Amino acid sequence: MAEYKLLFEHAHDPEFKTLKGYLAKGGYSALKKAIGIPAQSIIDEVKASGLRGRGGAGFPTWIKWNGLPKDKSHGKKHYIVCNADEGEPGTFKDKQLMEATPFLLVEGMTLAAMATGGDVGFIYIRGEFLDAAKALRAAIDEAYANGYLGQNILGSGKNFDLYIHLGAGSYECGEESALMSSIMGERGMPRLKFPHVPLPTISGLWDSPTLINNVETYCCAPFIVNKGGAWYATLGASTKNSRGTKIFSVSGHVNKPGNYEIEFGTTLAELLEMSGGMKGGSLKACVPGGSSVPIMNADQVNKAVIGYEEMWDAGSMVGSGGCMFLNDKTCIVQFIWRTALFYANESCGKCTPCREGTKWMLQILERIVEGNGQEGDVELLMDITKQIDGRSFCGLGDAAAWPVAGAIKVFPEEFDFYVKNGKSLVNSNLKLLPV
Amino acid sequence: MSEFVQLGSVNERPRPPRADELQLQFSDLAIAELNQLLTHYPDKKSAILPGLWIAQREYNGYLSGEAIAEVAYRLERSYAEVEGVATFYSMYNTKHAVGQHMIEVCTCLSCQVCGVYPLAQYIKKKLGINFGETTEDGMFTLHEVECLNACDRAPVLQVGDQYHGPVDEAYVDRLIEQLRTSDVNTVTQMADCIVKVQTGPLTEPTSPTTNPTPTAAKRGRLKVDATG
Repeated sequence: MAEYKLLFEHAHDPEFKTLKGYLAKGGYSALKKAIGIPAQSIIDEVKASGLRGRGGAGFPTWIKWNGLPKDKSHGKKHYIVCNADEGEPGTFKDKQLMEATPFLLVEGMTLAAMATGGDVGFIYIRGEFLDAAKALRAAIDEAYANGYLGQNILGSGKNFDLYIHLGAGSYECGEESALMSSIMGERGMPRLKFPHVPLPTISGLWDSPTLINNVETYCCAPFIVNKGGAWYATLGASTKNSRGTKIFSVSGHVNKPGNYEIEFGTTLAELLEMSGGMKGGSLKACVPGGSSVPIMNADQVNKAVIGYEEMWDAGSMVGSGGCMFLNDKTCIVQFIWRTALFYANESCGKCTPCREGTKWMLQILERIVEGNGQEGDVELLMDITKQIDGRSFCGLGDAAAWPVAGAIKVFPEEFDFYVKNGKSLVNSNLKLLPV
Repeated sequence: MSEFVQLGSVNERPRPPRADELQLQFSDLAIAELNQLLTHYPDKKSAILPGLWIAQREYNGYLSGEAIAEVAYRLERSYAEVEGVATFYSMYNTKHAVGQHMIEVCTCLSCQVCGVYPLAQYIKKKLGINFGETTEDGMFTLHEVECLNACDRAPVLQVGDQYHGPVDEAYVDRLIEQLRTSDVNTVTQMADCIVKVQTGPLTEPTSPTTNPTPTAAKRGRLKVDATG
């Protein structure tokens, strides 16, 4: 299968960033349609589409949309939040979506507000993404000036305000409860989750009902409302339970790195082919969904079909779609050492398994990489990953443990060789040199 | 047990700094921006992050204790709370003052496999500083950062509001040369962008400013020729 450009159809058209260009390509027809129909039928369309959260977890989107209180007699505002804190190493799809198609996101969020009674929206963008923030700013200003945002949207009698909130460089804020903490002006640390406290759809930002979705999820909404959920569900129909398109950010040792939008059901090998094939050597490994998913070897890559359940069967996950291909000159131990360094740096420090565990894994991997590995180090690493996985407060602990455990399972000989001989099996040098 | 109760009732509760305790003063523009930001949120606490961005721009990219106290005073939160937030986020420079240009080198996975470590070594040697240090002339600060999420352009550097990539040694030479000769302050440029994006179009205050923004004159976007 080739690329299937739905969200990215007009991504290379600079006119698409302006309201005029967006309207010329059929923009805002979904919103006009949504104003005429009851809110519940928008949610029903999303349900029929089979859309699942594109941020990594793959949670059915309609359940979130359906979870907000239907009547607003509680007197609180409903908040619509967009998670644009894209920090997963290897992922850069949201950045391009915001820079090239800002109106898709604005319209998608407005549709979510129409469906769930939203009053105020926040787009939480990471602080580094200034080009994305500027593009969105311009889009929001234009939408306000032309009645697509603000009071009485297109004469519907509904109001929706949209603000940008910029982060300041914390990976942890991509986790939804930490993101809410960050918007409320706190340290970006995760909070207790369901079932210990109500879901964010009941009690989120400032204890008000809050809907949180990824950028790509909101961008799908205009197409679903416009063409119907049943049409959207025909995309990716060959897979078990994944519908629509997914953007994969391909990087690493490939000839044409970049974002590729594909239909679910495409194989990973086809994705590699689209991105120009391997550079500087043959395929050795692939991290298909951002740094936190388990690494795959060439055999697994050749068999893998892209779909939430299918990738799980193949030994990894779709995740956020940050696909890194590595050639045969890459030392997996050094690569995993850098992954562990990332999680040790980004652990927020709230809970012990993650705060201490990520540092221990880093210490052990560091001594292996420096050639001072000791016998039993690999077993010790495996043991630590088991102590972190499922025992931490939020998903970051699991995300830190999976790549290490996965790499040891898939490439045990590299770890053993490095520990025994104090050097890399493939003789590569990807570590920090002494000054 | 009774001792604890006593301590709690005797000790002063954390309180916001008072006006006479401040050593710095926001410019009129910054105050206007902060007031506009406050309209986005239901409470003042939520404006701590954007408030810190404004302070970082006001004081040349460095959030000193005095700058944090200023934000705490404006938002009526205790100093400890605002400092706690500021030190959590890596983009607030609370540890040391920074140079005119901050070069942030991404060394995360995709950049690692595309050879950023030898390149970082080259930049360090060229500037004669290590990660987290500033050159003696106060021109450059070098930072190592986690994934900048532009992995298709690996290896990537960020200077001010701009990404540079893919970068090689010749590109670094040109970039540093151009930064040396430009009078743009890229450190405050970045925070300035963030504040502008959050507040939207803002009319500059018409009354003569008693304390003008120090970097107001030096704005603009730096162009580096990618092809040489």
